[in-house]
Amino acid sequence: MTSQEITPTRLPFLMGVYDAFPLLGGYIPVAISFGLISTQSGFSVMETILISTVIYAGASQFLFVAMISAGAPLWLVITMTLLINARHVVYAPSLAIYLPQSRWWPWLMHGLTDQVFALALTRMEKIPEHTRMGWYTGAALLAWLSWIVGTAVGAVAGEELTTRWPLLGEVMPFALPALFLVLIAPRFTSRIWIITLGATIILAFLLKLFGYLNAAIPLAAVSGAVIYYLIQKLDTYNAK
Amino acid sequence: MQNDIWIALVASAVGTLLIRLLPLIWMQRHLAKRKSQEAVAAMPAWLSVFGPLMIAAMFGVSLIPSSQTVAAWISTVIGVLVTLIVWWFKRSLGWPVFAGVIAFGTVTLVF
Repeated sequence: MTSQEITPTRLPFLMGVYDAFPLLGGYIPVAISFGLISTQSGFSVMETILISTVIYAGASQFLFVAMISAGAPLWLVITMTLLINARHVVYAPSLAIYLPQSRWWPWLMHGLTDQVFALALTRMEKIPEHTRMGWYTGAALLAWLSWIVGTAVGAVAGEELTTRWPLLGEVMPFALPALFLVLIAPRFTSRIWIITLGATIILAFLLKLFGYLNAAIPLAAVSGAVIYYLIQKLDTYNAK
Repeated sequence: MQNDIWIALVASAVGTLLIRLLPLIWMQRHLAKRKSQEAVAAMPAWLSVFGPLMIAAMFGVSLIPSSQTVAAWISTVIGVLVTLIVWWFKRSLGWPVFAGVIAFGTVTLVF
């Protein structure tokens, strides 16, 4: 896959903030829902904000709150919370090659969510190396703060907001599929990638449709990788 | 919050950070080792394949609307098409997403 380098026209930090703006459409409505559900489950506003600040992982936060309020054993709460995030294991290694040396990276990894990873993987290779740290900090910080602010708003006034503007919560989350589409579209560059990406999208779609929410992303990606290598082997075999 | 819930919160937070952080340290050591051996520093090939596939999987999963009605499916299809068309012409991040959300919202409102 080829890539064209983008020459930054503004400060790297601001460029990251600008690029991460579409994430807000997906983050804020979900964060508001989390804030609302958490307070309804018996957590205080401050506790709810703290959960979003330190765990900062959508699905596992919902699970954490639901399992605690249902009285599940703590070891199970912790295990399930971490298992849901297990897919994050492949994110940092995929980005490592683009990251310049800095002692701040370990702390900045707190902001490496699904969406920030998708954005970073696509953008980092296109911007100069010296701007990547600032870019990532801007993008990750905006996403993290929007998650915390959204949670706070949901915890304080979530019920009123969802009653008054029910459509907003329905429409804004479309920013996420739209963003993923824009990030993945330039990758459809060859036959092997068209087949592999197409199969992965369809498989992930079907897995979620049939209720395998947490397994959908890793399972579809692994299947896609298998398909990629099968096609590659087949092409090599045919070329002989 | 009771003490045991605090423990669960701290353990989940630290565990989540480690899941994101430890693979980075492993890969940075791997790359440094390759460099010190005067070999070309490169990622394992499977990782360069896996990254885009994770984004594709996220896209597939995010396509399912929260309310699975006919109107929501039509809005999703139109939203995706508009996003794709605007991306084709603009080749940028912001405008295609903005146009997609507006198209999705408009169709949702109409239905």
